[in-house]
Amino acid sequence: MKLLHRLVLLVSVMTLLVVIPYYLLFPLNPYVVRLRISTTTSLYATGLLDVIAKAFSSEYPNIRLEFIAVGSGAALRIAEVGDVCVVLVHEPYLEHQYLIKGVISEGRIFAYNYFVVVGPSNDPASISKANDVLEVFRKVYIAGELGRAYFVSRGDNSGTHLRELMIWGLLGVNPGNTPWYRSCGCGMSDALLIANELNAYVLSDLSTYLKLKSNGRLPNLELLYINTNDNLTINIYSAYIASKCSGDERRYGELLIDFISRDVGGIIRNYGVDEFKQPLFYPVLEDESKFLRIWEWFTFR
Amino acid sequence: MISDETIATILRSIYVSGTATLLATTWGIPTSYILTLKRRVGIVEAVIESLVGVPTVLLGLLLYLLLSSSGPLAPLGIRLLYTPQAIILGEAILITPLMISTTYRVLKNTVATYSELALSLGASKTQVMTLIIKESLPGVVASIIMSFSRALGELGIAMMVGGNISGYTRVMTTAIALGVARGDFEEAIVLGLVLLTIMVVISITLKLLNKVYSIG
Repeated sequence: MKLLHRLVLLVSVMTLLVVIPYYLLFPLNPYVVRLRISTTTSLYATGLLDVIAKAFSSEYPNIRLEFIAVGSGAALRIAEVGDVCVVLVHEPYLEHQYLIKGVISEGRIFAYNYFVVVGPSNDPASISKANDVLEVFRKVYIAGELGRAYFVSRGDNSGTHLRELMIWGLLGVNPGNTPWYRSCGCGMSDALLIANELNAYVLSDLSTYLKLKSNGRLPNLELLYINTNDNLTINIYSAYIASKCSGDERRYGELLIDFISRDVGGIIRNYGVDEFKQPLFYPVLEDESKFLRIWEWFTFR
Repeated sequence: MISDETIATILRSIYVSGTATLLATTWGIPTSYILTLKRRVGIVEAVIESLVGVPTVLLGLLLYLLLSSSGPLAPLGIRLLYTPQAIILGEAILITPLMISTTYRVLKNTVATYSELALSLGASKTQVMTLIIKESLPGVVASIIMSFSRALGELGIAMMVGGNISGYTRVMTTAIALGVARGDFEEAIVLGLVLLTIMVVISITLKLLNKVYSIG
């Protein structure tokens, strides 16, 4: 019986060891609603969503925003199976596919910025004088074929990757199997870091590039092509409600999308201005119809 | 240098991996004891040993499919995805083969040395079990610590079924991954050093305990 007593004691001590820290580490509040949001990495890794979450939580204290940062493809995929309620993505073509399938609805375009082409500071393909992104890619292709340049591709079905493929497609070339085209299958930050090591060109969203550049992680790379008049480089961020989401979570999801679309307090407009001397994202606000036309143009490519 | 959030992440990590290890212990140790009593377990042993190196991200994916809202457990009302409990469950499963195979070796040696001797001296089955557990305790503890280390250093499961949610399911390894993505290498390195320190401290404590135990 001594053994049994010891066992009971051991089990009860263990239970206390598990239960007490649990309530200390994960304070439970039955009135808190979990709002699960899958988001493209650029919005999260730049820190913008942390600021939005803070502002939203001070307006609606009984809600906890849970961001799951993945690529746009994965973000939509986990919405399809019903694991998140709100989706923040930037890939019109995929969004369109999922809208047709009825997986997501109530879309709002809430922000935009620009894809940029980043490359080694000596610019072996001399893309900095290019007039549009097609010319940039054509020059990179030629320089690559001549063995003067590398190009790093995301290769992960993210919004940035699909935009890159679309531009190659418009040029009518497929660099997929060439030795100068390196597909990393990685996130934006990793792709930029690889490009920095290889002295390669890379298509990036402006925000991730600025964030890493200001941290001193990209000493060999420079911003070589940015053109706010080039519609092919417009990067449109949209928010959707997942169709499988219901109840309180859906109600708060709709509130959040409304909150982001109105850019309450100018959070999106002002984010990063102090640090980078320029905004990382631009709110769409009353220009939504204009961006909707551009968005539709991308869905039919 | 170390913010409140970082400290919370470290504590959360230790808690999650610790609980996972406890959970795995409850089924891992009895399983290995049962295995030592059986004959002809060569195939079971081989399978378990080969599972020791299962890629964490593969296990993460399988658990994701299992726990997802459209997964097989959803109709039962089990909603664990993106919670610390999901990570605990996943890590417990991950370290089970490691724990069983290392414990099994220790127990087998002890059983071979003492079991028949004790029985021939008239010990009961419970007494034999107690004796074997006592004699192989240092080895079993080592196996548990090793499993804890594996759980603590694991990334794939925490990322896939935890979701790296700030203040909730963010653990050290996922925070390191995010630090790299954000270009905050310093924070990633601090966390990495903490992770290593914890593992080394545990390992040294274990050696000391072993020494004290073998002298006592």
